[in-house]
Amino acid sequence: MNHNGGSARKRRPPTPTSHQPPPTKQKATTPTTQQTLVDEEFVDEDVFLDETLLPEDEESLILRDIEQRQAVASRLSKWARPPLSQAYVSQSQSILFQQLDIDYVIGESHRELLPRSSGPAAIIRIFGVTREGHSVCCKVHGFEPYFYISCPSGMGPDDISRFHQVLEGRMREANRNSKVPQFIRRIEMVQKKSIMYYQQQKSQPFLKIVVALPTMVTSCRGILDRGIQIDGFGMKSFMTYESNVLFALRFMIDCNVVGGNWIEVPVGKYRKTAKTLSYCQLEFDCLYSDLISHHPEGEYSKMAPFRILSFDIECAGRKGHFPEPTHDPVIQVANLVTLQGEKQPFIRNVMTLKSCASIVGVDVMPFETEREVLLAWRDLIREVDPDIIIGYNICKFDLPYLIERSQTLGIAEFPILGRIRNSRVRVKDTTFSSRQYGTRESKEVTVEGRVQFDLLQAMQRDYKLSSYSLNSVSAHFLSEQKEDVHHSIISDLQNGNAETRRRLAVYCLKDAYLPQRLLDKLMYIFNYVEMARVTGVPISFLLSRGQSIKVLSQLLRKAKQKNLVIPNVKHAGSEQGTYEGATVLEAKAGFYEKPIATLDFASLYPSIMMAYNLCYSTLVTPEDARKLNLAPECVNKTPSGEMFVKSNLQKGILPEILEELLSARKRAKADLKEAKDPLEKAVLDGRQLALKISANSVYGFTGATVGQLPCLEISSSVTSYGRQMIEHTKKLVEDKFTTVGGYEHNAEVIYGDTDSVMVQFGVPTVAAAMNLGREAAEYISATFIKPIKLEFEKVYYPYLLISKKRYAGLFWTNPEKFDKMDTKGIETVRRDNCLLVKNLVNECLHKILIDRDIPGAVQYVKNTISDLLMNRMDLSLLVITKGLTKTGDDYEVKAAHVELAERMRKRDAATAPNVGDRVPYVIVKAAKGAKAYERSEDPIYVLENNIPIDTQYYLENQISKPLLRLFEPILKNASKELLSGDHTRSISISTPSNSGIMKFAKRQLSCIGCKALISNGTLCSHCKGREAELYCKTVSQVSELEVLFGRLWTQCQECQGSLHQDVLCTSRDCPIFYRRKKAQKDMAEAKQQLDRWNF
Amino acid sequence: MLELRLVQGSLLKKVLEAIKELVNDANFDCSATGFSLQAMDSSHVALVALLLRSDGFEHYRCDRNISMGMNLNNVSKMLRCAGNDDIITIKADDGSDTVTFMFESPTQDRIADFEMKLMDIDSEHLGIPEAEYHAIVRMPSADFARICKDLASIGDTVVISVTKEGVKFSTRGDIGTANIVLRQNTSVDKPEEATVIEMNEPVSLTFALRYMNSFTRATPLSNTVTISLSSELPVVVEYKIAEMGYIRYYLAPKIEEDEDETKPQV
Repeated sequence: MNHNGGSARKRRPPTPTSHQPPPTKQKATTPTTQQTLVDEEFVDEDVFLDETLLPEDEESLILRDIEQRQAVASRLSKWARPPLSQAYVSQSQSILFQQLDIDYVIGESHRELLPRSSGPAAIIRIFGVTREGHSVCCKVHGFEPYFYISCPSGMGPDDISRFHQVLEGRMREANRNSKVPQFIRRIEMVQKKSIMYYQQQKSQPFLKIVVALPTMVTSCRGILDRGIQIDGFGMKSFMTYESNVLFALRFMIDCNVVGGNWIEVPVGKYRKTAKTLSYCQLEFDCLYSDLISHHPEGEYSKMAPFRILSFDIECAGRKGHFPEPTHDPVIQVANLVTLQGEKQPFIRNVMTLKSCASIVGVDVMPFETEREVLLAWRDLIREVDPDIIIGYNICKFDLPYLIERSQTLGIAEFPILGRIRNSRVRVKDTTFSSRQYGTRESKEVTVEGRVQFDLLQAMQRDYKLSSYSLNSVSAHFLSEQKEDVHHSIISDLQNGNAETRRRLAVYCLKDAYLPQRLLDKLMYIFNYVEMARVTGVPISFLLSRGQSIKVLSQLLRKAKQKNLVIPNVKHAGSEQGTYEGATVLEAKAGFYEKPIATLDFASLYPSIMMAYNLCYSTLVTPEDARKLNLAPECVNKTPSGEMFVKSNLQKGILPEILEELLSARKRAKADLKEAKDPLEKAVLDGRQLALKISANSVYGFTGATVGQLPCLEISSSVTSYGRQMIEHTKKLVEDKFTTVGGYEHNAEVIYGDTDSVMVQFGVPTVAAAMNLGREAAEYISATFIKPIKLEFEKVYYPYLLISKKRYAGLFWTNPEKFDKMDTKGIETVRRDNCLLVKNLVNECLHKILIDRDIPGAVQYVKNTISDLLMNRMDLSLLVITKGLTKTGDDYEVKAAHVELAERMRKRDAATAPNVGDRVPYVIVKAAKGAKAYERSEDPIYVLENNIPIDTQYYLENQISKPLLRLFEPILKNASKELLSGDHTRSISISTPSNSGIMKFAKRQLSCIGCKALISNGTLCSHCKGREAELYCKTVSQVSELEVLFGRLWTQCQECQGSLHQDVLCTSRDCPIFYRRKKAQKDMAEAKQQLDRWNF
Repeated sequence: MLELRLVQGSLLKKVLEAIKELVNDANFDCSATGFSLQAMDSSHVALVALLLRSDGFEHYRCDRNISMGMNLNNVSKMLRCAGNDDIITIKADDGSDTVTFMFESPTQDRIADFEMKLMDIDSEHLGIPEAEYHAIVRMPSADFARICKDLASIGDTVVISVTKEGVKFSTRGDIGTANIVLRQNTSVDKPEEATVIEMNEPVSLTFALRYMNSFTRATPLSNTVTISLSSELPVVVEYKIAEMGYIRYYLAPKIEEDEDETKPQV
């Protein structure tokens, strides 16, 4: 099965049939619940331990089953983790491990550790790996869920106990079915302070409400929100504080645990669990107060040897249908297991249905039944015990498919993939929607104790690409292609013989190997672990949640240190409107042939927040400003009119978080320079990157109106300061660097954006511009409050400024040699355009900026346009892709890609694109006046049916605008010069193979030499004299095309890794594929011409 | 060397008007027998075939067969500069990449030369084989133009059915339906106003009206139009050009389930 995450092939949202409730027996234990998540609102979900466990007899059944398959078992035992040393067995050693995943379950509270409590309680489970590679399951007891409310004034201890009773009563009403003996464990009065607004008093009383189970936080909050009757106080509703913090995160914050750090449990503080519930080598119970959480520094910044499993499955679909777990068998599963830090996987195997020829270096495990394949995979998971499971689109396709398939086959013992003994994997449909990442439908598969890392999700999050198929992602990052086998061919290969199945296995292995390669290449493990460490959230949050949880986690940690509490602001009706964004100075468009110096503000927004002490806790409301009577020298009034106290009165916690992040980044960067070990370097680089991203996301957090704690006063103040600074810089530069001031030329600010200003000092050399740039940066920085700093980093020379946010130039950081060509907002980077535009613009920029050859660029454009009109253009260059974000009915206007998706669905539902996919299309010729959306067509369909491309559309709607933008600052009559003239007068009108009138029309003979109509033969009487010459021309044309086709074919064979087999690949993302198809067609046509010469 | 002198210059203007609606760029083929053009419209559903026989020209010289690629909009721009009763001469040298249109006023006191750059159009020559048709309708061209125009205001497609009773044009649209029946009528004074139906077999075919309406652009060329129909063959709409040749339009019938007329039919 091919991995076509971004595009058509597999990974269709499940059709209703796959949602049919599983047979009743499984229903109880594998609930498939529908849960919709609105913008980052996540709630705790109590999972009761016994619910997830199987009855005893079922377990013995499994054990028997394993015995029956001894052969497999012996194979699997080779892969087990290293055995425990004596010190661990005798519990005479502290347990130190790196944790990867933290969750909680509800179980009976531990009698020995907590002798005084009883009844159900939340037990935190920490999963991790020790330095030696032992798996750990640490069960932490005694941590209780809680939240705060502000204490009504005049409430004494007696009132509190009455309040306790009332609340307990209300909770009991709301949760009638619960067997919990006591809902509200206790209510304590504590001295805290709200983070919101500047307050002069040190603290005020708050009530800390401790509840029995994590979900009760939410229901209790609901009761308090709506209001509650208290004797002596009347009906009262409460603002709750920190009531939206997930339980696991609450635990991490309170115990100073950050994602992916090392935790130590000292000797004697832990007890080995009598009856183990997990498959981990070390399973024990301890109290939360006994945990030692190590800060990720020095020795503790290393990574434990995690086991990473990368896998891929293949299914045999039916013709014209997308594989469905209710019908289509799983035929192969390929697995690679790698130890973190090792270069090569230590296990490579593929489990196949029916025999399969052997593959060098791979353990091929053929089975006769699908049941055996699935169970062998489960045994692999259990024995190898991977800490991290990766793959491409595993969360949406592979894992749910396996589980649903096992239900169809009635293999009840299959979905025990987690680390908890007998606990079945649960599948949930979720919709993740966030402003930043858009809406994505996905499935959540809970595999307890193992982190899932779906490379597709990571790619969609972190990179903007025109296609997210595994193929194009690999081509982009690894410069490696893979063949893309159409799913209908997979069944043919499976039904062939051992050799064809071997071919499929090789393909499947490649699909399992590429995610691992991507993971290594992009340093995902390091970057994500470091991000988790910096922001303090569990690693699993990084993929499944948005940005704001990361900021919230840091805020909560800091607030705890400062004895502050964070209100839970309801975002209903939080339409506080928008505020003015960053400023952009007007661009003076033109082609600058003198060096342009660029002055950048370093981390502008974080610096502003630090410099002006902008924070929730320093904000002064207009009423307070009057009441408190603050001295004017103690407050800053921001350009947007808000008031914040200065740091001498109260230091804000956002500035403090930012200072820590930035100084930590400085440290990480300094360490990075010193570091020698490549692994250590990777960690540090990941850290500095995580710190930078985190620092920059703080501003966004305050501006997210649907976020956790929006505060537009802060965000609008930040941007207003930013605007002011850009203006200020422009003024200073233009005032100081003048001929009057003793400089050679008058400086001119030609453009300025959010955090940078472009200056033309008028000097002719890069070195001189650099000196002036440095001088200006120093001079201007001195006028700002620390830490706001203007830095001089680069010179553009030459510089082509097209309009705001669109420019290109050569980038110089030293006067000897330019570093690179830098472009912004130009079609080289936009992914909605076809490749032709990108290549054309790139080549032109190269010629203009680097070669300084404007006539050459013009000629290049003309040649390209001519090629386009002559239909010599490779189809892959003309493919446009657009993301399908919703279904056709939801779009207000008709769009080409949406209409095409609809038409493709009618043609073949299996290959049609789905919501979330990117749709590739080309524009074809149609009747005059037809709209663009009616003219879109699937590139493969176009190739197969020889449908003529609408070259005029590409000329007028695709390439003309970007070209004119580019050339208008350079050429006088750009449009006339480039888009009309002799080069547009040669065109080719191709004939479609068999559509419309072509079903009836006959091609008429024409002279090969001059194209005049003739009745028979090859040449007209006039061209007869040139017969020899024309014949040679035709022959050489055929042989040229044959060579071309041969080379393309070999290329594809190399890509599929076998030179003696037919090429099956039909990858829509691969330029070679289109070229190969076109060469094949051209060759056939040329041969026909040759055949007319029958000597 | 090519030199074609056409006394009725306006004829050429009308021919251009009749084609340029359907075709943007096309090759004009000149041979000893005449001046011709075959081209598909851009959606390749319709085909135009033009023939002006050499004997219709006052002077016709064509030394060798040649194809001249022209943008029809540009040709039309050039011809618009000719007076209605001007004599038009088309001239081209062998191997030249231009064509010259010479306009002479009837009194010979004004002679204008317009030179136009030729295009190099790489396309295949197409033709529809002659066939026997089940039904042939000859009718006044103005009537046909009116029927097409009227029906297009109601529906997108026209069903043309020929039976013993006559020929029926019908359409169906959102607002309602329309049926126009013409009966055989040969008793009129002028032969060009007659409606003549020759039928071997009844036939009923569906066509897109937008193309039919494009075809009626040729109405000024001839008083009568001949519509030849056969099931499983494209319809031929032919306008005779007085003593010189014809302009024929071929249109593939619409197939029932094909609901999207703007898409290439497969």
